[in-house]
Amino acid sequence: MPTNEGTSGAHVQLAPAVFVTGKGGVGKTTVAAGLALAAAEADGESVYVEFGDAAGGRRVLRNRPSGLEHITLDPSRAVVKAATPVFGSARLAKLALDNFAMRPLIRAAPAIRELGVLELARQVVAEHPGKRVVFDMPATGHSVAWLKVARQGRELTGKGPVHDVCARIEDELVSPGRASVVVVTLPERLVLFETLALCDTVEKEVGLLVDRLVVNRVPQAPSAAALADAAALSKTPDRVGEAAAKLAELLSVRTTVREQVINALNETVHRHGEGKGVEKGLTLLPMAAKDPTAATVADWLRAAGAA
Amino acid sequence: MSRPRVIVCSGGGGVGKTTTSAALALALAKSGSRALIVSIDPARRLADAMGVELGTKAREISLDAGRGQLFALMPDPHNALRTFIEILFEEEPGSIERLLKNRLYLALEAAVPGIHEIVAMSLTWRAVVDYDIDVVVIDTAPSRNAVDFIGYPKRLAKLLGGRAVGWMAAIGKRTNIASQDDRMGRVEGLLVRALGPVARDVAGLFSEMARVRERFIMLNEHTSELLLHPDTRYFLVASLTAAARDDVDYLFRKLSALELAPRALIINSAFVPKRDWIEALESSDETTTAIREVLAALDEEELTRQRAAERTTGAFSRRYPNVPQVRLPFIEVVEPRSIVHALADHFDIPALLAQ
Repeated sequence: MPTNEGTSGAHVQLAPAVFVTGKGGVGKTTVAAGLALAAAEADGESVYVEFGDAAGGRRVLRNRPSGLEHITLDPSRAVVKAATPVFGSARLAKLALDNFAMRPLIRAAPAIRELGVLELARQVVAEHPGKRVVFDMPATGHSVAWLKVARQGRELTGKGPVHDVCARIEDELVSPGRASVVVVTLPERLVLFETLALCDTVEKEVGLLVDRLVVNRVPQAPSAAALADAAALSKTPDRVGEAAAKLAELLSVRTTVREQVINALNETVHRHGEGKGVEKGLTLLPMAAKDPTAATVADWLRAAGAA
Repeated sequence: MSRPRVIVCSGGGGVGKTTTSAALALALAKSGSRALIVSIDPARRLADAMGVELGTKAREISLDAGRGQLFALMPDPHNALRTFIEILFEEEPGSIERLLKNRLYLALEAAVPGIHEIVAMSLTWRAVVDYDIDVVVIDTAPSRNAVDFIGYPKRLAKLLGGRAVGWMAAIGKRTNIASQDDRMGRVEGLLVRALGPVARDVAGLFSEMARVRERFIMLNEHTSELLLHPDTRYFLVASLTAAARDDVDYLFRKLSALELAPRALIINSAFVPKRDWIEALESSDETTTAIREVLAALDEEELTRQRAAERTTGAFSRRYPNVPQVRLPFIEVVEPRSIVHALADHFDIPALLAQ
């Protein structure tokens, strides 16, 4: 069952569009799929969107219910597709963007492609009114930059059709109430350090709130009784005493590391809390013997009130 | 200068790539090399793992033992664009000023990810020359798309070295864009209308770029020499999860397509170092219930890890029978730096370099 010691109060309601982000390897795909699954079970319908080759979604959503739609957005075709209304027709968009000069520019500057993908994401949400749409974002670093791209494009262009596309993305998709950000992280010092920076960027540069901070694979607190017993036994000057000292050392390392993690989490919540989403959105998921399925994660999220 | 050995560590996120790369560099230094560890990871992991600070210059890391020397370089991704421009326009300070006023320039950082990589490789090249480095370990960005960075500089070079630059530079200056006579004239018209006023900034940026085309090509050659040289060794790092195995498969395919097939698979946290003391406590009758419960849990954990490790090593042995595997222990300590030191002793350097 989820460890609820970090969860304070009720979670804020998630917006219709949910961007699930976090470093690679933190279990982001499973959390995204778990959220989509929980929404499908609650509302009858939901959408899970991923970018690229659909490998992640297929792995975690093996027995997907019929109400859960799985959409894959292909970044390589996004620009021309998204730009078609700007240029008036697919033919003109192809003429303007698929030529000797623009092809290398688009290849060299992925932001152009990201803007295209974001426009397609806006369309997915617009085409599924009333449904929860969960986006499994690519691994951090790039993914938050991705959310900023509409605002940057809007500021950069000032006016004109590209400006209007950016403005529509910002108004309809990347704004509080329209979209929630769910940050997934691990209870490791180094990873948490980056999570802190990520939450900052989401709030200051993207202008969205982090509505959930999901900490995956949180180990159980080591038994305090065992630590005390081992410490007592380690005073015996024999082989068993030496062994007990080793056990005491291991348990105290685990206790310290866990405390560091909880402190770092509290720091994140404190810095971003103060009435904002994260304060209420801290969700700790347990360590499991093997990779949990989306269904298991959906159960955990529901039990924590975070679905 | 003779070309240094280059080892690139790649892998999915969360597999402990930075720690592993740092440990490998440390092991190389201990075995007598003048080693340089470079982190392209946008996070500050190397700072935590080795106590290095961000900067454009490599710093020496003191070794507790061993004959060689270890240097570390961790360029700041937030300064990448500034450094890039400073390197490119070293001889043309006027351009730097003009660029700093260009609105588009400021947006470039988020738009063009290759810049951090290309700057990192250029700074690496400088460190190799300055410190007479004979082996470089490069820690890539923590993602499945990590190998894309190998392609970024080439993409930028294609853009900046090609016809596109002149065309883009002209785009805002053309007055008769309404002319439908030539096909590209019409395309320019379409783009200028779509972009609006920013088209002028696009033109300005590209005309500055056109001035330093040759310097850029030189930068790109440094990057290729380090990353695409046939002697450059790629090592993939994995942890024991299914996602990490998928990432290895994906990266293996991508690198093989570039004729840079990985030469070693490093499996992190693959086993728990032998703990004789568990047995000593289990056979003792002085222990309490609380202790016995913990011991049972530890046995269970170890068994789970062992099974996961067998799945991973087994899958790799079947798929990549000729690629050697390095199994690293699972180490529980409080200080990240002591993990690096503990892992360094598990690399068989002569065997790895023979690959």
